[in-house]
Amino acid sequence: MSKTIKATADDIWKNKVEKINSELFTLTYGSVVAQLCRDFHNDYVQVNAQLERMGFNIGIRLIEDFLARTGLGRCQSFKETAEVVSKIGFKIFLNVVPLVTNWSGDGKQFSLVLEENPLAEFVELPQDDKASRALWYSNVLVGVLKGALQMVQLEVDVAFVKDVLRGDDATEIRLKLIKVLRDEVPAGED
Amino acid sequence: MTIYSLYILNKAGGLIYQTDPCPGLNKLSANEYLVLAGTLHGVHAIASRISPTAPTPNTGFFGTGKAVAGNCNTSGLKSLETDAFAMYVFQTVTGLKFVLVTAPGTRAQADAAELVLCRIYECYADYVMKNPYYSLDMPIRCDMFDEKVVEVTQVVV
Amino acid sequence: MSYYLAMIGTQDNPIYELEFGSFRQGNDGTSKFNPEMKELNPFILHAALDIIEDVQWETNTLYLKAIDNFYGHLISAYVTPGNVKFLLLHETKNEEAIRHFFTDINDLYVKVLLSPFYNANDPIISPSFDVKVKTLAKKYL
Repeated sequence: MSKTIKATADDIWKNKVEKINSELFTLTYGSVVAQLCRDFHNDYVQVNAQLERMGFNIGIRLIEDFLARTGLGRCQSFKETAEVVSKIGFKIFLNVVPLVTNWSGDGKQFSLVLEENPLAEFVELPQDDKASRALWYSNVLVGVLKGALQMVQLEVDVAFVKDVLRGDDATEIRLKLIKVLRDEVPAGED
Repeated sequence: MTIYSLYILNKAGGLIYQTDPCPGLNKLSANEYLVLAGTLHGVHAIASRISPTAPTPNTGFFGTGKAVAGNCNTSGLKSLETDAFAMYVFQTVTGLKFVLVTAPGTRAQADAAELVLCRIYECYADYVMKNPYYSLDMPIRCDMFDEKVVEVTQVVV
Repeated sequence: MSYYLAMIGTQDNPIYELEFGSFRQGNDGTSKFNPEMKELNPFILHAALDIIEDVQWETNTLYLKAIDNFYGHLISAYVTPGNVKFLLLHETKNEEAIRHFFTDINDLYVKVLLSPFYNANDPIISPSFDVKVKTLAKKYL
């Protein structure tokens, strides 16, 4: 199963995805974050929230692109969702495959560990202590995941727990399944 | 395959896009199109509940917990064939419905229609969802999307 | 041997400075400038800026080699395409090593510029930049 997932993802990445220069991408995201920090006078809690909101709006749109391009149906378990998000979602949009790990006992929480983060290349956080304590530089990803999963009727809690930019040993996003929005599952999918 | 019409329904059953790539069709009034879309949405939902055998509860990850039969049709309305036309419905995981109305055709046409619907879904993802001025679930007014739909539907005509 | 490196922004404002010594011949990398010289260093380099402004238009290379001297100390310069100047005060002639040193510092400087929180002409306070410059110093000088 995981082999076919990888093959599908590679195929889509090679043939169906329009690519842009990664530095252009990184710098564009960087200037957005830096501008937000200026606009909110380095109130990083606000900046995190804004990034998440922007990500959410991306996510609810991007999911259609994801589904149209991959032709995937509904996942049968949250474990499968985790695999698809990491091995296909991250792969085709960012060309990285985060590690799915740290499953909780009830199978409703897991972590995505990013070995490299295309959003944060070149980045050094501002030298004030506040930034490295409060700012989640790549918080847009949190919003994207929330938005995209909500559109396929999964309410999840997503948050960064570690970021190498802050001096942590890894970049880790934690996902927690709150509930399946059963009432919103379209008719015909029982 | 002659494509008469394309309908796109949002997840609430509202009509957000309608076009007739084939010229010479009689038009309905705007309201009648909306009613038609709403009816389709309802029929699709009812169809997914129709079951010829004894129901068993669905307890899967996405199951609603409601009773469904082991071997019943649970995917709702997928196609409709009449002497005058054929209709194909494609529902996305997010709940959108793409509906294609064509001239009546053979079984093989169903596959071709599904392909067209997938292509249109891709166009929707590219030219509607990526248009920053489009708000979700609202009627689609994007010239680029119109052009692409014409392109896709023309290829198969 | 001792070195004094300064990076000067486009408004003739200093953005980075570092005083260091050679690691060669058993030295440990600490500078051996005497106290008077330490105070004079910034002024010597500052005075060299005028010469750079003349020399930089006469060549199409970024590395200007030794452009000035001060009582036996040489001043080498490098001008980035964005008109940021790297100046190095050193005691002996060592063109090739200094060329490599400047070129690599330019690469580091570009990476600093790419960080979204760094504005051009701001002082460079990143500790990791500092560490990397010191590594280069150890490698080349």
